[in-house]
Amino acid sequence: MTAMPAASAPVFLELRGLSKRFGERTVLDGVGLHLERGEVHALLGENGAGKSTLMNILTGVYLADDGEIRLQGERLAIRRPADASAAGIGMVHQHFRLVERFSVVENLLLAAGGRKGLRSASEASAALLRTAEQIGLRIDPQAQVADLSVAERQRTEICKVLALGARILILDEPTAVLTDREAGDMLSAIRRMADTGLSIVLITHKLREVIGHSHRLTVMRQGRTVAANLPTTSLSMEEIARLMVGEQKAGPERAPSTLISNGADLLIAHQLCVSRADGGVGIDGVSLRVRAGEVLGVAGVGGNGQQQLADALLGSLPIEAGNLSLDGAEVTHASIARRRDLGLRIIPSDRMASGLIGELSVADNLALTRVRGGHYRSGWLNRARMRADALAAIARQAIAGATPELRTSLLSGGNAQKVLLARELDSGVRLLVAHSPTRGLDVKACAVVHQAIREVAASGAACLLISEDLEEILALSDRIAVMSAGRITGECPGGSSAEEVGRLMLGHA
Amino acid sequence: MIALPYTFALQRRLTLSGRRGVGTFVGGLAAGILLGLALLVWAGVPTESLLDDLFVQVFISPQGLAQTLTLTVPLILVGLSSAVAMRVKFWNIGIEGQLWLGAIGATAVSLYGVGPEALRLPLMLLASALFGAAWIALPLVLRLRLQVSELVVTLLLSNIAYLLLQHLLFGAWRDPANSFPMSMQIGGDERLALLGFGNLHSGLFIALAVTLLVAMLSERSRLGFHAAAIGANPQVARAAGIPVGLTLAIMVLLSGALSGLAGGLIITGSEYRLTQNIGWNMTFSGIVIAFVARFKPLWILPTAFALAGLYNAGSTLKVFYGLSDAVVVLLQGLILMSLLVAQFFAHYRIDMKKEPR
Repeated sequence: MTAMPAASAPVFLELRGLSKRFGERTVLDGVGLHLERGEVHALLGENGAGKSTLMNILTGVYLADDGEIRLQGERLAIRRPADASAAGIGMVHQHFRLVERFSVVENLLLAAGGRKGLRSASEASAALLRTAEQIGLRIDPQAQVADLSVAERQRTEICKVLALGARILILDEPTAVLTDREAGDMLSAIRRMADTGLSIVLITHKLREVIGHSHRLTVMRQGRTVAANLPTTSLSMEEIARLMVGEQKAGPERAPSTLISNGADLLIAHQLCVSRADGGVGIDGVSLRVRAGEVLGVAGVGGNGQQQLADALLGSLPIEAGNLSLDGAEVTHASIARRRDLGLRIIPSDRMASGLIGELSVADNLALTRVRGGHYRSGWLNRARMRADALAAIARQAIAGATPELRTSLLSGGNAQKVLLARELDSGVRLLVAHSPTRGLDVKACAVVHQAIREVAASGAACLLISEDLEEILALSDRIAVMSAGRITGECPGGSSAEEVGRLMLGHA
Repeated sequence: MIALPYTFALQRRLTLSGRRGVGTFVGGLAAGILLGLALLVWAGVPTESLLDDLFVQVFISPQGLAQTLTLTVPLILVGLSSAVAMRVKFWNIGIEGQLWLGAIGATAVSLYGVGPEALRLPLMLLASALFGAAWIALPLVLRLRLQVSELVVTLLLSNIAYLLLQHLLFGAWRDPANSFPMSMQIGGDERLALLGFGNLHSGLFIALAVTLLVAMLSERSRLGFHAAAIGANPQVARAAGIPVGLTLAIMVLLSGALSGLAGGLIITGSEYRLTQNIGWNMTFSGIVIAFVARFKPLWILPTAFALAGLYNAGSTLKVFYGLSDAVVVLLQGLILMSLLVAQFFAHYRIDMKKEPR
């Protein structure tokens, strides 16, 4: 190595000018970040800002199109996950990489893949205990993962990654799955890990965690680093929030629907409670009211009960307590078919998993909800009419490259979303529940979706817009409800600033 | 760690052209037949008689063709049974059980003289369908109510059905004039008309009519449309308001009824009595036919016919060359496997990439 001036010792880990494109979309654009030894470095940004892509490059899941990674000044080639792991980079994902039927120690053996020093259960067990003691976490190597709580699994996963030799630890929203007390314990443990010389990248949405528990921070927005390697103490919470959501363009972007302010109540949800499939509380006492001609935005960081709210409204999750009425009819325990007959329509967050059937044709997907009601005759279907309707919908929505017979899975995301819009926004729509309707879409397709939502409201129907994209909420909503930890924690009028909504979202009432 | 110079990956083809679909099918079939022929030659069948035994004697000569067609009748129905259940992704691997119950139902109507004599034959067939449907009702209810895997329940219920069959044949229904465990012959009015072509009976027309009906139902009806959606993605189907449970129930009961009817046609068309030897291997055959026909009802007709020919040839081979059952099953397995492998390559291609250095 060439001699270096003492003042500028090489950065421990340096990401320099990393770029990544997926097809037409640039998801990372010249991103850089410095990580020092013994540092907790917070990585902030809204959903889709590019944090996950960046970390996927660092851990060898994706290959960067451009840019480089340097470890202690030396160029580091990370072509696959094994390279990252060999360089001492480990990641703890939100969804833990643990085999439930195995014990803790067996999970380490599995991940170690027979590497030296981790070949027998006793070696692995000793390594786990040693690691746990160093960072002050308690784990039981012999326990079955299936018997462990979420917090215990997280500790297990962290110790596993460290026992495998990680010196750089990436934690993806580690407190999102924890209770407040557990989160406090975890944050203290993170500090202790840094004190032992580990370098930690802490991905989080929660500003409080950033302020109290990180040394420096980097903020990403739309694939770029808008602030890099700033000392946390130099910034106020407001300044950080502004960096995350960006300067809001004033006025013209926001176009509330032509308000029928005293429209009839199309949706009244009163104290809805729903549990999640894994037993946790999904939503807890949510009350909402949406009037005809109105767009109600539900803002919030993802995973705070949005999915359960959408499922409860559609009827695919049973409502355990509370009441729901739709266009004046009581539907708390009504079937999906009944709700649809009353005018409920839905654009789900994952269109290919719960909106469209990829292996069926475009025409079949367009007819999917209408065949039941006898729209195409009740016995032998009128296929000719189905085809004609599909042709009309393709023309109306300008669905590029679609024919009625085409397999729907071959359409691009934006065009598939247009198929969904054409089906759900028929003449019978009274209430549209749109959940992250523009996720993964490009700018043009986003505009089409937003226009469709405005038209729904203008036609005298109503829309409940559940979205993690704050700009989308601000651009479309007449009123904004903020959701956090399964509850509605605040409400703002349409036209509120991003800071106001953002503060409510991040848990500061 | 060993670094391979190449990495292989399977890539799903974006589109399946019609030409590639037909091409892989024909190619797979040809490869399977060639492998099968090689197997037969290896097992000692003289090369020069292969064409005669495998083709002329089962598809061309009148006697052989009549036999093949007679065997085709129940195979069509079990193929349809499997295809109908697979349409909603319900694995009915208890076709034999439903077939035996169908046979029991038809025989019971005859033995106890249910209904006026003029209606006896249709009643027997109706009973066979109802009994078959009833036998699949239990796995259906367990699946709908308790998410119990139908794989296990339908399979094990076949064993119970066979024990019930034996119980009747060794007990109450045993023909006292016969030393074998079989029921009394059914009367002349209770039999399907012979067509004057070997043992071929009018059950062939019933099977053809049922195939047309099932084809209409699955390709053209509201029920079939809903069933296709459920088979492809039950979650989306549910979110679209499609009555998932009801559609599933109708399709599965129909599957059981078709298997039961196969049993009824065997009793009224060719056996004329209940024995222990009917319906064997029908679950396997039904699944094979449905898969090879890619679950399309009309394609089931030629597939069932071809498989019947293969079975027919198999019995000839067994008699003339002393081949074991296993060789015949192996022959069918070879052809099925190569068809399925070919189908796989219709959908995927192998991608070979040189590792970046």
